Amino acid sequence: MIRGILLSCVFLILILSSTSCADFVEPNQLAFVIGGAIDHAEDGSIEVSYQIVIPSQLSSKGGSSGDSDSFVVMSAKGKDVFEASEKIQIKMSRRLLTSHRVTMAISEEYFNKNDVSKLFDKLSRDPANNLRDIVLLIKGGSAKEFLMLKHPMERLSSIAAGKELQINGLRKFTSRQLIVDYLSEGIRSLVPVLQVKNFKTSRKNTNPIAVLSGIAVLNKKLKVKGLLNEDEGSGAIWMSGKGTFKGVTIPWKNGKGILSFRLTHLQRRINSYSRNDSKRIVLTVKAQAYLLDNTTPLDTTDVDNKIEIQKYVNEQIQKELQLTMDKVQQWGPDVFGIGEHLHRKYPYWWKSQKDDWDEKFKNIEVTVKADILLRSTGATGAPLK
Amino acid sequence: MNEAYLRQQFHNSSDVILRSFILRDETLLLLVYLDGMTRLQSVEDNILKPLIFSGLPQGIDRIQSLAEMFRREWLPLTNVKTDESLEDLVNHILQGSLGILVDGEASALIAQVQGFETRGIIEPQKESTLRGSKEGFVENIRTNTSLVRRRIIHPDLKMESYTIGKYTQTEVVLVYMQGLADEKVLSEVREKLGKIELNGVIDSAYIEEWLENSSFSIFSQIQNTERPDIVAACLLERKVALLTNGTPFALILPVTFWSGLQSADDYFERFVFVILNRLIRYVMTFISFALPAIYVALSTFHPEMIPSYLMISIATARENSPFPTVIEVFLMMFIFDGLQEAGVHLPNQLGPVMSIIGALVIGQAAVEAGIVSTPIIIVISLTGIASYTIPRYSATLPFRLIRYLFLFIAGWLGFVGFAFGIIFMLIHLVTIESFGTPYLSPIAPFDGKRIKDMIIRYPFWIRDGRNKKGSRPR
Repeated sequence: MIRGILLSCVFLILILSSTSCADFVEPNQLAFVIGGAIDHAEDGSIEVSYQIVIPSQLSSKGGSSGDSDSFVVMSAKGKDVFEASEKIQIKMSRRLLTSHRVTMAISEEYFNKNDVSKLFDKLSRDPANNLRDIVLLIKGGSAKEFLMLKHPMERLSSIAAGKELQINGLRKFTSRQLIVDYLSEGIRSLVPVLQVKNFKTSRKNTNPIAVLSGIAVLNKKLKVKGLLNEDEGSGAIWMSGKGTFKGVTIPWKNGKGILSFRLTHLQRRINSYSRNDSKRIVLTVKAQAYLLDNTTPLDTTDVDNKIEIQKYVNEQIQKELQLTMDKVQQWGPDVFGIGEHLHRKYPYWWKSQKDDWDEKFKNIEVTVKADILLRSTGATGAPLK
Repeated sequence: MNEAYLRQQFHNSSDVILRSFILRDETLLLLVYLDGMTRLQSVEDNILKPLIFSGLPQGIDRIQSLAEMFRREWLPLTNVKTDESLEDLVNHILQGSLGILVDGEASALIAQVQGFETRGIIEPQKESTLRGSKEGFVENIRTNTSLVRRRIIHPDLKMESYTIGKYTQTEVVLVYMQGLADEKVLSEVREKLGKIELNGVIDSAYIEEWLENSSFSIFSQIQNTERPDIVAACLLERKVALLTNGTPFALILPVTFWSGLQSADDYFERFVFVILNRLIRYVMTFISFALPAIYVALSTFHPEMIPSYLMISIATARENSPFPTVIEVFLMMFIFDGLQEAGVHLPNQLGPVMSIIGALVIGQAAVEAGIVSTPIIIVISLTGIASYTIPRYSATLPFRLIRYLFLFIAGWLGFVGFAFGIIFMLIHLVTIESFGTPYLSPIAPFDGKRIKDMIIRYPFWIRDGRNKKGSRPR
């Protein structure tokens, strides 16, 4: 017994001598970075901005201190992210904690003028990054401006942006996903694009709010090859297997009225057929549709109409997605992971094709098929007369 | 001459009564007894009246002298014996027997007519259950043995009696089921009981410390209980019980770590609900010793491990705290344990006063003054509540101590320290054993049969390997 106590004492002393006690940081000695922004600066350096929470401002309930912000944006320029962060740290009274970052906003200008892939080296190498933060492309203004925005509902604009994406079914755009996509050879990345627009939110105020305005298609070097608008973007997300749900509005055949659906359980499947040396791809998208709005004269309780609607929806969506697919194929980057599929299915063929895949992808024949099941036609039958 | 010896022994003892009679045939009779410990009514009716008024009692044979009557122990009482030595006589008188001495006779007659005030059998306060027997042990050992006997009506139930304590001469009864109880455990207990050198046994706790194998371990290796049904159940589970005179607390051995976390109610409720209850209890037990340490380790060493929004609200609450988290948690834990200790010793009338002071001063005022932060109050009160889910009070004590050790090591080294604490605790737990049974027994070493009563209480018929349709098909 005494031997055991002695042993454990010795053990403890050994542990203590081998570690430093400086790890110990109180929460009120920490600056919680909630959002980050990367902007292009002149002379080839970058400008890093951090949105930092002011906890004492958050604790005041009731919002009596309406004028004071609950966050502060600090920025600095440097050759890389680390150097800029160190420069921010010098200005701070608390230690920066970047592990809780929710969003990482990068301006369009930076994407165009710099090599973004180098930026993500620090993000993936440093273990203090949680990689759960969402990477955003800010169209138009600078990313720093985006951080400084005040959201009418949320206290922090970056949390607002994160929630906005999550609630709209875009969950898989974290920096982890971006790095995974970047490192694999047969898939290219998609990045959500936010644009700051002014909205009149009350009689007195007009607030600038960052809204989702499309999806950026990146190539192997993480350069923007093209921008898809919201509708095309959500189609591309669906076809790349990253979507969860979306809404769809389709005008009825003869232009009489429209039909609106909510599509859930979004899935896609890739089949490939070998023909000599070239491959033919059939990409099947699957979903369950719920009819929510019907201004056509169709009585949806009628089984024939139901079949008709389902057939029509499939046709329309197929057409729409095929257009998106062709558009992306023109640009080149394979954001759908078709290369990954071919890599697995024809590993030897892939070896000869993987170099310069973006160029070769342009010539692959991809057919989109839709397999949508009409789950429900809503609570009423024929539209009200 | 005997009278002189007795008078000298009982010098300055006001409650000893020596009463001498001269009978009709001129024999001198001396009655010695302790006032208040004998039931004198029966003595008067059965001994004095016949001797004084009718002379010697006449049975089938004629009795010539008082000496012969004594030799045959012919007194109309059930519990009579003869004592040859004066020391034995004194001893018996002190236990409440009536000593009858006759002039010119070498031996004395002892009539066991003890009768004194005792407490009635009431429901045990500390171990009350929702369902099941409401009887609890009392201070009188004979009542206690009868409570056990009434539950197990079988000749294999054995009760060996030992007398321990130089001055208290306390009777300790070793209760076991012959054939069920492990002989090795029995001989170990017998040997240890024989070696006890104590001036007095005030409570069974005194023997408990003499019996334990690892005295310096914080985990108790002997269970105590006030409930005769628990004793009976344990006897049938091949365990051994020790009843001690003067205390309602019986000792049960050997025990394991888990028996401290199991309640009698577990066996009285339907097994499905018991599974949930036990799960809650095991988780709460973990919380009761680990939560403060985990909180300190996470919030000051690894803030990235707490979900972002939670961490921000913790940081918001802790914005103005003057002390480091460890010190704050330690202070609150200390105050909480202080309140608990005060609650035990407080007279009942003062109870509300303390709860007001505790709730207002520590709960509200301290937070409003900014001395402690709300998350820590939540952590400490959750820990406190969790520790009360452990059914036996004495089983909570080691966890209360460990809580402090874990807090310090976590405040020092973070989660690494906490992991070391857990490792050391487990190493300790697997090394100790209670009377030959490893302390973590059904789990380490693993025992597939006994595990059926550990995390999940199987229905009795599955646990015992029986078949509800009858074990012998006809």
